[in-house]
Amino acid sequence: MISAQVVHKTYIDGETQVHALRGIDLNIGEAEFLAIAGPSGSGKSTLLNIIGCIDTPDSGEVQIDGELVTGRKTRDLVEIRRAKIGFVFQNFNLIPVLTAYENVAMSLALLGLREAEIRERSMTMLAEVGLQGMEDRRPSRLSGGQQQRVAVARALVKEPLIVLADEPTANLDSETGEDVLKLMLELNSRLGTTFVFSTHDQMVMEYARRLCLLHDGLIVSDEHRSA
Amino acid sequence: MPRTRGTFLLQLAVKNLTRYKRRTAITATAIGFGVAIFVAMASMLDGFEAESNRNLARYELGSAAVAHPEYWDDREQYPLDLVVENAEAVLEAFDRASIAAAPRVAFQGELVVHYDPFPEDGSLHLAFYGIDPVRDVTVFDLADGIVEGEFLGENEYGLLIGRWLADRLGAEIGFPVTVLARTRDGFHQIIDLEIAGIFETPNPVVDRGAVFLPISTAELYLEMRGAVTSLHLALGESVPGTADLEPARQALSQALPQAGGAEEESQARGEEEQPPVVLSFADMTRELAEAMEVEKASNNVVLFLLAVIAVVGISNTMLMSVLEREREVGMMRAVGVRNAEIRKVFMFEAAGIGLIGSLIGITFSIGLVAFMVHVGIDYGAMIEDIDMGYRTGTVLYGVWNPATMVAATAFAVVVAGVTSFLPTSRILRRPVSESLRRS
Repeated sequence: MISAQVVHKTYIDGETQVHALRGIDLNIGEAEFLAIAGPSGSGKSTLLNIIGCIDTPDSGEVQIDGELVTGRKTRDLVEIRRAKIGFVFQNFNLIPVLTAYENVAMSLALLGLREAEIRERSMTMLAEVGLQGMEDRRPSRLSGGQQQRVAVARALVKEPLIVLADEPTANLDSETGEDVLKLMLELNSRLGTTFVFSTHDQMVMEYARRLCLLHDGLIVSDEHRSA
Repeated sequence: MPRTRGTFLLQLAVKNLTRYKRRTAITATAIGFGVAIFVAMASMLDGFEAESNRNLARYELGSAAVAHPEYWDDREQYPLDLVVENAEAVLEAFDRASIAAAPRVAFQGELVVHYDPFPEDGSLHLAFYGIDPVRDVTVFDLADGIVEGEFLGENEYGLLIGRWLADRLGAEIGFPVTVLARTRDGFHQIIDLEIAGIFETPNPVVDRGAVFLPISTAELYLEMRGAVTSLHLALGESVPGTADLEPARQALSQALPQAGGAEEESQARGEEEQPPVVLSFADMTRELAEAMEVEKASNNVVLFLLAVIAVVGISNTMLMSVLEREREVGMMRAVGVRNAEIRKVFMFEAAGIGLIGSLIGITFSIGLVAFMVHVGIDYGAMIEDIDMGYRTGTVLYGVWNPATMVAATAFAVVVAGVTSFLPTSRILRRPVSESLRRS
């Protein structure tokens, strides 16, 4: 479903040139629950960004759903992100002036769906993540865990091919982080959505069904686990 | 763009207005201040122009005039050789067409006063107008302005002067004066008259520099031979300069063959006879209108300052907003909101601040304009003895001008919206991944 072949990426950090990815090969299948782990600077966020079409590799190829995305125009990448990829961020990144419902509905409004369908799917998804009755609350009136659930609902409501989660538990206490992980695992099992995490949280690595370890821009270990 | 997407972006922009309430309020208030000042100034200038035109029409010009085609350009020389011959025939033609017309003989002269009864000897160079007391009241309001004595009537040697002039001369009703002038043929003439009435009008040019006497006296002493310098018409109009001149032109064309009786006489004097023409209000006030345009241009300076306030205020506000929300913008871009759509959100938001500011400004300006319309600004003390050439009294009144309010609002909204473009573009140039890393 997602394939990255010999992906290289270099960027400038201050006056230093950082070779973040040094020829990564990675294939991700349907309904995977994959964690990309590694120390800071190992290239996991860069890899996630390239898979998520918000960054482009210097060389190599990335295919999503059989479609080559490297070399595509920015406008095309925006369309791919809009339709096929869901994002969950470390800082939740909810829009503070919108309610939980509106934050989730945003994903569907961007797809230009009808209002009734947006409402039905958003409400259902909020219920799925355990936020029934909190639809009208703004993020400031939700706990960190609840905010991350809204972010998960926002990512999943458009039924993407893949959800990319960058350190999703980093800003949560361990108990809340585990609740969110369990929720994502459950949704992965039930909806068959692929989840890819970048993390250095041990708990995320434990929950992952597949664990790729990155070090200095290379995958040094790729471990598949049974459920 | 699908409706739901556009609606969402608009809703987001509106909600964003509540995000930084104090900042929005400060910026909107600054814009409001600019809008209010602009609207108030425009109201004052429009009021100034309207009153000036009204006073020109009521005391000097009427709705239109009939004069020699070259007279108006030379009018400040008070020529008595560029005249309407056989004025009686022209007046009769206007009477037949039921158009009120009043003849005037304008000439330059010296008003001489002597010690006892005047406080001191002296003379003044003034404009004199021979008027027909019966016809003049059908076109002009001078008779209504008499505050002492009486309007010209039975007294063939009566003279009307303005209150301002009378005060400075120490003149009273019945005081004798001497007028030194030249006849139509250029000979010196002395006319002894007495002050019959003192008038006070809202037209300072008339009050300060015009003296009126019976047209029959002017005709006799200036040897006008039935000619007048102009005939002024009242054509029924709510705003000066809007009357239909066609009936007047038709009436004049019917009168011309009869008026042309003086042609031989003119030719005998070596003057080239040209038929009189109808001059519109605009023809007669072109120079003043141009001066007014210059005055109005000064209001454009306020408009420019308004734009600067809007641009600086909004630009600053939007720059802060955009930078503070860079990570959020990064998220929006990541989930598939296009750059152009993000620009729209910020543009709507900035335009919203512009709209709020404009509404504050319009609300405030309604108070200001209401004050100027009903109370006015008395600037008499500032310019007591200064003649600016405008036909306005010492109290400046404003006028309601909804079009200016709408234009100022539209301007502030558009400028504010456009101003958001630069700060937004600044963060949209950054890679999404970099925006997402911003704290």
